[in-house]
Amino acid sequence: MKKKAAFIAIPLLILVMVFTGCSGGGATGTLEFYANGEDFVRQGFVSKDGWSIQFDHVYITLDGIAVYQTDPPYDPQSGADISGKQTVGLNGAYTIDLAEGGPDADRLLVGSVSDVPVGHYNALSFKMVKATSGPAAGHSLVMIGTAEKDGQTINFTITVEEECDYQCGEYVGDERKGIVPENGTADLELTFHFDHIFGDFDTPLDDELNLGAVGFEPFAGGAQGKDVINMAEMHLGHVGEGHCHCGCH
Amino acid sequence: MGNKWIAVAAVIGVLVLSLLLPAPALAHGVSIQYTSDIEITIIAKYDSGEPMAGAQVAVYAPDDPSTPWLTGVCDDEGRFSFTPDASKPGIWDVQVRLAGHGGMVHIPVGEGTATTGGIGGIGGYSYLQIVLMAACVIWGSIGTAFYFRRRRPA
Repeated sequence: MKKKAAFIAIPLLILVMVFTGCSGGGATGTLEFYANGEDFVRQGFVSKDGWSIQFDHVYITLDGIAVYQTDPPYDPQSGADISGKQTVGLNGAYTIDLAEGGPDADRLLVGSVSDVPVGHYNALSFKMVKATSGPAAGHSLVMIGTAEKDGQTINFTITVEEECDYQCGEYVGDERKGIVPENGTADLELTFHFDHIFGDFDTPLDDELNLGAVGFEPFAGGAQGKDVINMAEMHLGHVGEGHCHCGCH
Repeated sequence: MGNKWIAVAAVIGVLVLSLLLPAPALAHGVSIQYTSDIEITIIAKYDSGEPMAGAQVAVYAPDDPSTPWLTGVCDDEGRFSFTPDASKPGIWDVQVRLAGHGGMVHIPVGEGTATTGGIGGIGGYSYLQIVLMAACVIWGSIGTAFYFRRRRPA
């Protein structure tokens, strides 16, 4: 009787394993997280109101960085919370100087996580928070540099204290990112568009980008970030060229 | 009892063979294939409603999410059309980018939206057939193993 039961049970067990993909342990790889202020930060640019801006330091503090495998893919336009079958995150807060390395620098490695389940991580969330120590202590964003217009040069330090939650969909760019292969490495990027704050001289003034930007003129007059910048409207955080839902307080 | 299970395994084996073997070809037979492709059109606009004229488009098939299956450019109205490969059902991802901003749309393409088929050919096996065949082969193999491992009566 026992033999008969085993004769039926063993094939059934094998069938279940075969068709559910159970192999006794999931395949894994490594996921790297990068922060990128783009050439606007590294090489400088001209604001919508004609100020030539060069950054010495751009300190941003990031916390709660997490990625997800979502199905259906997360739509940042929905404003809903991200939920995914696989979630991977970096522990702790990181203060990054997006201007580090000069004009030709590469994007900056924030951290990496090994032994993450393979698959396509197609959503990302993170927070911009106040730093608790270091050169940006008490601020979530600190921009230090010089601005020049019509022979006038201004040394500026612009600070922001607002904290923001960003919920993003898939990275959008030259290549697709976040696809972790077995025993391989994939990367994802937190991208920050500073032309959204200052505008871009090379873009028409009536373009959405410049209509939403505050320019540099208020800061030339001594304003601070809290006086003129509404971070929720700046849409600073992106995934490559892909937008994120943003809530600030 | 053992003979009963051997008989069952034998019957299943015959069934599997009957599924695997193609039907004999008939003289003067006719083979007519058909393809019914469905074209997908996307329209890309900024939040302001302005069309993303000239935007770069990359289409990714479900079987290779890393490499674009097709690339192209939106027309003046932000429109781009393509016909997905009907043999690759699943989610087709379309990325649209212009001037530093972009997005992705995820389009389900199934058996019902783009199909191929025909008469006169051997044709493929259905999912149910594949499952049945796999089950029978596994069951038959294990039955055979048990048969040869059983104790001979003293």
